[in-house]
Amino acid sequence: MLQFLVDALLRAVDLSLIALALSCVYSLIRFPNVALVQYATSGALIAVGLQSAGLPLAIAIVVACALVGLLALAMSVLIFEKLLTISPAIAMIGSLALSMIFTAAFLVTVGPRPQRFDLPIAPPLRWGGVSLTQVQMLSVGLTVLAIAAFALLLFRTGLGRCMRATATNRVLAEATGIPTRRVTNAVIVISGFMAALGGIAIALKGETSSQLGMDMLLPIFAAAILGGLGNALGAVLGAIIIALAETFVTNANFGLLAGQDFYFLPASFASVASFGLLVLILLVRPAGLLVSEVKRV
Amino acid sequence: MKKTTLFAAAMALAGWGGAASAQEIKLGAVLALSGESATAGEDQRRGIELALKEINDAGGVLGQPLRVVIEDSGARVPSALDAAKKLVTVDKVPVVIGEYSSGITIPIGTYLVQEGLVHLNIGSSSGRVREIGEGSFSMLGLDNVSSAFAAQDMFDQGYRRIAVITPNNAFGQGVATEFKKALTDLGGEVVSEVLYSEGQTSYRRELQQMQRTQPDAYFYSAYGKDAATINREAYELGLNQSPWYAGYLSMCTSDSERTYVEGQIGYDLNFVGENGQAYEQAYQDAYGEPFVTSFSGYAYDATKLAAAAIEKAGSADPAAIRAALTELGTAGYEGATGNITFDADRQRSKQPYLKQKIEGGKTVNR
Repeated sequence: MLQFLVDALLRAVDLSLIALALSCVYSLIRFPNVALVQYATSGALIAVGLQSAGLPLAIAIVVACALVGLLALAMSVLIFEKLLTISPAIAMIGSLALSMIFTAAFLVTVGPRPQRFDLPIAPPLRWGGVSLTQVQMLSVGLTVLAIAAFALLLFRTGLGRCMRATATNRVLAEATGIPTRRVTNAVIVISGFMAALGGIAIALKGETSSQLGMDMLLPIFAAAILGGLGNALGAVLGAIIIALAETFVTNANFGLLAGQDFYFLPASFASVASFGLLVLILLVRPAGLLVSEVKRV
Repeated sequence: MKKTTLFAAAMALAGWGGAASAQEIKLGAVLALSGESATAGEDQRRGIELALKEINDAGGVLGQPLRVVIEDSGARVPSALDAAKKLVTVDKVPVVIGEYSSGITIPIGTYLVQEGLVHLNIGSSSGRVREIGEGSFSMLGLDNVSSAFAAQDMFDQGYRRIAVITPNNAFGQGVATEFKKALTDLGGEVVSEVLYSEGQTSYRRELQQMQRTQPDAYFYSAYGKDAATINREAYELGLNQSPWYAGYLSMCTSDSERTYVEGQIGYDLNFVGENGQAYEQAYQDAYGEPFVTSFSGYAYDATKLAAAAIEKAGSADPAAIRAALTELGTAGYEGATGNITFDADRQRSKQPYLKQKIEGGKTVNR
């Protein structure tokens, strides 16, 4: 049971930061940016590259996240602002196209081989059947810290108040003197930063490759939609639920039903579970689990 | 007017092509130079390179220099097929050597045989390689031979309940099925059988499912990069506290951190046979290191055998080469990896294996 919770936690960590970034951007610019999963991959690949170039791990992580934040802003100004004047659907298709270009760029620059951080090998720590490595704990810690910092920013700072105001009613926010364009750009930089950190958290625990973004795309969308697209902290809840569902399906022993001692579903069935759950919840609560301040397009 | 120009251009092109092919004899190869099997693919390329050097230093084939056009498969079926098509239609080679993974060797072999070419399998051991058809020859023994060997070896170590993980492709399915059959016949039991999807960044879930069945030992056979991920996560989850047995030890451990694979046992193809010392020395001299995997020798033998067949046939016509290969293989060809004798299905009938283990970070015989 404890191992089940640990596995679900590790999976939730994989999903939550990127889903949070997706949901947070959606609340302001009203389209789900598919390229966010590629910002996550970029962050991981840049951080691995910086570390292998000789930077200390912590600095490599911070620099990579900052670079990806700027990259997200550049993409938004150069591409998405223009596409958004046509329609949000066009912007979403544009972001899908952009993420294919990203995959091709990763293949050309980094190649198809998976990349890893250069970390010391330490045997896992074990308590009562649960094994956990130091880097896994580091990854969980980083993610929890980032989510807490984001929550503080959103609910305890002026920028956070402006973000919430702009998300709820842009016209009214503008009328009260909030510089909505600057707030939006700040959120885009933050989303790039968070997505990159999410990618790095995944790469710390294992490895990253040019395919990581596309592999993560569906579960991350499921988590963000489940939590109520536009509600950033709801995305974290969505991530936890998706992680629990995926972990249950692959960890549960269906031996009794199959008449054997052990019968497990193949690991590739994990996504079936998360999407089944997503469809069920959307049938009951079309706007997602938590009420979002934003109307869906 | 326009037609004549086009015709003249076509003639010129054909003449150019003809002139080029008259100067040298070309073979083709499809190798995994990138992707999860890139380490083995590069080793196979070295084998071909060494064979070519030797053949051309001795005057080439039929008095002409021999060349092998090498294409990268990227360890993916579509790009491997594109590569094979390019070799057939652009380079017009009579013989194609390749690939490594059975999941890729079978489709490209089938295509080459359809086109009437000769296919030489140098790295795949799925039983279904046998079904590729006339024109396809294997330089190594297939999985019915190897899996029975592994099952017997593990049974002799005292392991009865065994968990198996192999890739979900022609190779992995073949190995898992043959291993289960052989182990059950001996009186053992396969308690968990996992077929994993290639190229993932994590196999935690698969490994945990296996762990739950509490086996005496794990049997795995996985491609370099995938195996590196599996070995790391097995270490992190503590699965490595039970014995691990590797099918093709050098394939399973070539890309893994030594810490993760310490203590693993397994079998492997023999690197070289009785007459292989000269080849081993040439490899060491050329690359300044001992064999990286056990697969280079089979690529070396395939190139030499193809050259011998062309010499014997007196032409580079695929049908003539096929007949010459059958004749050479029936009589038994002395290669660097030992005596290569084909059975009625043109597959290598005898294959010595090595019993090995990883000790102190190094692969040693046990």
